[in-house]
Amino acid sequence: MDLAVYDLKLHKGRFIATIIGVGLLFAIVLAMNGLYRGNIYEGLAVINATNPDLWVVERFRGGPFNEQSSMPEYYHYSVKAVPGVEQASPFIYYTVERQIGGESRHFSIVGYDVFGGLGGPKQIYAGRGIQQAHYEMVAHPKLGLRLGDKVTLGLHAYTVVGLSREAVDTSGDPLIYLSLPDAQEVLYQKDNEEVRTQRERLLRSLSRQNSLTPQSAEKLLPALQPDTHIINAVLVRLKPGADRAEVARHIRKWLYFSVYTTPEEIQLMLKGRLAGMTKQLMLFRILLMIISVVIIALVIYTFTMEKVRSIAVMKLIGAPNKVIVRMVMEQSMLLTISSFLFGLILIHQTWRLFPKLVLLIPGDEIITFIVAVTGGILASILGLVQALKTQPAMALGGQ
Amino acid sequence: MEVLRIEGLSKIFGSGRLEVRALEDINLSVFPGDLVALLGPSGSGKTTMLLCTSLILEPTQGKIIFDGQTIFQKNGWSGGVDVRSIRREKMGFIFQAHNLIPFLTARQNVLFPLSLVGIKGETANRRVMELLEYMEIADRADYLPALLSGGEQQRVAIARALANNPRLILADEPTASLDTERGKKVMELLKKIAKENRSAVIVVTHDVRMIEGFDYVYHLKDGHLNHLVK
Repeated sequence: MDLAVYDLKLHKGRFIATIIGVGLLFAIVLAMNGLYRGNIYEGLAVINATNPDLWVVERFRGGPFNEQSSMPEYYHYSVKAVPGVEQASPFIYYTVERQIGGESRHFSIVGYDVFGGLGGPKQIYAGRGIQQAHYEMVAHPKLGLRLGDKVTLGLHAYTVVGLSREAVDTSGDPLIYLSLPDAQEVLYQKDNEEVRTQRERLLRSLSRQNSLTPQSAEKLLPALQPDTHIINAVLVRLKPGADRAEVARHIRKWLYFSVYTTPEEIQLMLKGRLAGMTKQLMLFRILLMIISVVIIALVIYTFTMEKVRSIAVMKLIGAPNKVIVRMVMEQSMLLTISSFLFGLILIHQTWRLFPKLVLLIPGDEIITFIVAVTGGILASILGLVQALKTQPAMALGGQ
Repeated sequence: MEVLRIEGLSKIFGSGRLEVRALEDINLSVFPGDLVALLGPSGSGKTTMLLCTSLILEPTQGKIIFDGQTIFQKNGWSGGVDVRSIRREKMGFIFQAHNLIPFLTARQNVLFPLSLVGIKGETANRRVMELLEYMEIADRADYLPALLSGGEQQRVAIARALANNPRLILADEPTASLDTERGKKVMELLKKIAKENRSAVIVVTHDVRMIEGFDYVYHLKDGHLNHLVK
């Protein structure tokens, strides 16, 4: 005889309300799991999508994603000359906020050598890759752009020739791929007014030098203009059979750069930029699980307290403890499992509504389920203690 | 053979200056089919007597023999005796406040003690309906207790007490929550059960109007049991 089910049938309103309440909590726990995974996935997406053999960045820097790294563009030639290197490509990555379609959008720009260099989009689901040195872009669909659309960035308009959803930036915002010179221009090129002001300022500064005539100061000006041929990293592909560690050591020792493999680059992100948010989400998951278990415990305790007289009657007419334990445990399990299922269904129906990626992984769901069931068992202990403490004499109105 | 034999039973609560002698040298024999009334005012020890008889409360001294088996002797339960299984298999209980399990229907309330002794399926269902028909409440079989009147609930409670053909039925103020007419009907039912089922019935009550036709009437006062009527 399933006492637990009969009791819940009688209190189905409260049972359903509790399932909805605890189920919402479980949905948030699962959403937190998804956000945790999504945070890591998006944070590493551009690294995984680019995936060169080595990342060469400014010395003592953990760039180009975890920390800013800056180096002259021509250094990739030096890297290319290192024994074991098959290909070395300049790479630039930065985050901007610009108007697209009349809306201010936050996104990142990747600049790469479009003529066979590393670092470009590998999977384009619509259109084609960049084939011209200038004014073409591959965009992420999140920006709402279509093939053929023109987007003004800085001084020029760029045509969308391809769409790729392969990668987002480390914050989960969409990526735009441009040719290296275009990306440098969008980042560094000043508008005409700013160029004129800067020239004036430089000229005045040089004119104050006694050794320079105005003519020679004028001649010096181009050489003193800020360099826009700056990159953030050099991406390296090794020759077949080349020793990765040896090549990295050579670059560090002779070229004075920092060198990371892709797994090392991933670790830099996990221990750096992603660590804070990851810990935060982990803490939220733990807190919410504890809250869920406490709520289940209180509900089961209340359910049990309401049945104390019935439990006394059961004991008086000879029901063994296992019948009573089973009733309390079953209620706890029914409540926990039903709430979890409600939460699971809810989050699978709503994860797309979240602004950040919610990456639901079956492994996480199974672990959460196991934790929830364990919590449900622990939660029922409070009710069980009360049930087992109940004296059969209570049914007779005595003791 | 007696269903229940109690010899020199005492129950003392507390010790020293706080000692309370709830029962003092109680002797009682109950045979199958006996209808026994236990009268007494509040605080006379009726509930303590019922708790000791139903093997819930351990007496301080004396002897309890149930259905030929010594259950309690001198100052402890006899070894190997499972008092809960004796209650489950050989005793039936009727309470003052009916005490039906509120989330079970009348049918399920009667089925519950059967399920405890492993009687299930069609056999159990047949037995339940027999009992409910015997109590003339079969038409209310699928009602929850809250939807039954006090008299109907008490009849379901009696059916539950009879489910396992108990050797002894212990009834604690079974008419206390009923009006006189319904109370008398319940007492008539208990008499019928005692005669037809050959179950011994001990009824604890303070209402002398309800004990007409009982085989034995005892009066409990300050822990002492006095035999009044046969």
